[in-house]
Amino acid sequence: MSDLKQTASGGQPASGCPADEARIGVYICHCGGNISDHVDVEAVRERMEKMPGVTVSRTNMFMCSDPGQESIMEDLKSGLVNRVVVASCAPSLHETTFRAAIARAGGNPYQYEHANIREQVSWVHHGAPATDKATRLISAAAGKARLLTPLTPIRVEAQRRALVIGGGVAGMRAALDLAAQGVRTDLIELSPYLGGGLARLDKLAPHGEDAAGIVRELAGNILSDPLITTHCQARLTAFGGYVGKFSVEISPASRTARAQEAAPGAFVPGKGVLGPAQAPGAPERFDAGAVVMATGFSSYAPQKGEYGFGDNAEAVTLPRFIEELKNAQTAPDGMLRLGSRPVRSLAIIHCVGSRQIPGVHEEGPSGHLNEHCSRTCCAASINAALTVRKTFPATRVYELYRDIRTYGRGQEEMYAEASAEKVTFLRFDVESPPEVVRVNGQYPLEVRVRDELTFGENLELPVDLVVLATGMEPAPIRDLIDMLKLPVGADRFLLETHPKLRPVELPVAGVYLAGTCQAPMDAGEAANAASSAAAKAGALLRRGFVELDPFVAEVDPARCKGTGACVDACLNEGALRLQETEIGGEKVMRAVVTPALCLGCGACAAVCPEGAINVSGWTLEQYEAMVDMILSEAAFAVTADESVSASPEPAEAAV
Amino acid sequence: MGTRTSAKAQGTILILATESCAYPGADSVGQAHSSYPANAYILKVKAPVLFPERFYIDCFRKGVSGIIIMSCGEECPYEGAYKALAKRVDAIYALMKEHGIDIRRLRLTAICTVCNRAFLNEVNQMNAIVQELGPPVFDQAAEA
Repeated sequence: MSDLKQTASGGQPASGCPADEARIGVYICHCGGNISDHVDVEAVRERMEKMPGVTVSRTNMFMCSDPGQESIMEDLKSGLVNRVVVASCAPSLHETTFRAAIARAGGNPYQYEHANIREQVSWVHHGAPATDKATRLISAAAGKARLLTPLTPIRVEAQRRALVIGGGVAGMRAALDLAAQGVRTDLIELSPYLGGGLARLDKLAPHGEDAAGIVRELAGNILSDPLITTHCQARLTAFGGYVGKFSVEISPASRTARAQEAAPGAFVPGKGVLGPAQAPGAPERFDAGAVVMATGFSSYAPQKGEYGFGDNAEAVTLPRFIEELKNAQTAPDGMLRLGSRPVRSLAIIHCVGSRQIPGVHEEGPSGHLNEHCSRTCCAASINAALTVRKTFPATRVYELYRDIRTYGRGQEEMYAEASAEKVTFLRFDVESPPEVVRVNGQYPLEVRVRDELTFGENLELPVDLVVLATGMEPAPIRDLIDMLKLPVGADRFLLETHPKLRPVELPVAGVYLAGTCQAPMDAGEAANAASSAAAKAGALLRRGFVELDPFVAEVDPARCKGTGACVDACLNEGALRLQETEIGGEKVMRAVVTPALCLGCGACAAVCPEGAINVSGWTLEQYEAMVDMILSEAAFAVTADESVSASPEPAEAAV
Repeated sequence: MGTRTSAKAQGTILILATESCAYPGADSVGQAHSSYPANAYILKVKAPVLFPERFYIDCFRKGVSGIIIMSCGEECPYEGAYKALAKRVDAIYALMKEHGIDIRRLRLTAICTVCNRAFLNEVNQMNAIVQELGPPVFDQAAEA
């Protein structure tokens, strides 16, 4: 672990009391009135000035502006302050701004604490209670700042090699983008083919690009790129290490279902481009600095009897219909024929296996309901309907929907075009879904629906075919989830760290999300996410080292007694271990942290009977100081026109 | 002449909010300008599993009237942390009973980044409880 460093700058101990006396600067933002319209910032500044340890308290109209930042930097450079508290908007917006300013002034960016007095004070409280609450929150921040020790980021050497798991459009896009950044990339794919779900599609909504053409182009580039090694029919069988140096083991997967007649690199309709198979025999092992998850999705499989599925050969899923439609030949009468069977009319039913509601829908074999919207099926259904109407104008098309979600560029126009092409739209309520009934008449099936667009008219639609617009489900990747310790959302898709701030990142540093393993998305969105993931991974690896936030567990060797409670409580295997060491001629066990593996959750800190382990920058002592300051009356100097009441007043009414 | 109520007298509520879910959830409430009692103080935490049982008891002893742990629930980014936390909360409830502290003063809940209504409900409910109960008083017999 010689490549791991977590030391305090300036020779300071990384824990315990700082050697230098705390000189705290408090900087309070008006936010152009957003804060100062409700919080008396000058009163707060005066209160903070009198707080022990606070050497200066300033206000600024916009603390994030250049003059605001410069006032902080000048105080740091002059030695007036050595710890900074900024009271302004949510830390997610400007915490990094102020940390960077501190670093530019030669200070330690981790001797900084943020007080959120906009979103959590001035935007929700008014008048004296807002001013008082701001005072207490800033006091709490100052209480923590007093105990902050200098920290330096953890630096880890990074292998300039990435692993992409999944060979669909997202995986291929990510691999190409990584290679374009000079990163050697291994792409593994469980099946024999590159292309994933995209290879099964035809013309893509809404602009009609050829899915097979896109797969051919991407796979061709993948297979000819010298920096990319493709491993088809391969699976990840072991995974360890940490960001910058993940140890990876790849083994050959099952050899079934490989098109023997096709040559490697050839496109097989409905399947994709045949890729090079992983060599049989011993597993292949290597180190990768970053991993991109691009494991894709599964199509929802309707339950037997769901809208006639399984009971009638004429009830098929949308992916199956798209495949059959690709091979349908035009006829002089303009009628769609599937095989020899004419399709005079067909009904597409939306939201099958999506937007399921507890108590309304039945759970499938997995025991889960898909409460999410699969997003892509509305456009895919309308696209298929348009294809039928334009190519086979003698075939009538009904679309039975709950809500239409044509959200992307060009999709609304496609929806309008479908109406112009005489696709008939009917809207049903989820409580009274359409019924598919086998009948003995001119048509094999009848779809009975209560149409909300005609104010509840009950309609009976004679059809030759029912198409179920099935949604997306997470791919069955339980083995990978367990192996890589990936978080999963309530919808069972992989869960990003933050939907807005870190949308393609995971709490496991160095592992990124690309495409439909994260959520339902169309091919363009999946490629977009993949490029984001590749950019993140590339930026991480190109420097040759990785810098991680130093907010990880740290053991105080003077207090550790080697009980091992922390190791038992640790949530990430390998992050903590007991190691034999010699103290005073005696061999003893002591806890040791591997910083790059530590998640910083603090599960260890709670259980140590000696209080010998803490999370740097988030210690229990610091939290206790914050609580003390919230409860303290020290910041409130009693003035002539104010007294402190020990008896409770009615709390501010909630709205 | 104005009268300001001390923190202990106003019934301080401490909210331990996870940085991935509940803390941005509280920000979302602010962005919606939805008011809630000003005696609720939010501390950002990476994972509330950090806090041992004694932290909670000490908070009550210092004068905190109510604590809401706003976690990520099942969507916790630290696999296994929520389960460990739930187990710890059971242990804290047992300790609270020993000390004669009403267990309604501590609540574990899950708040997402956009769970505005749930956030407001939790804070308002806890505020009603702390206004009803007043400051925490430890059982002298248990203390002895």
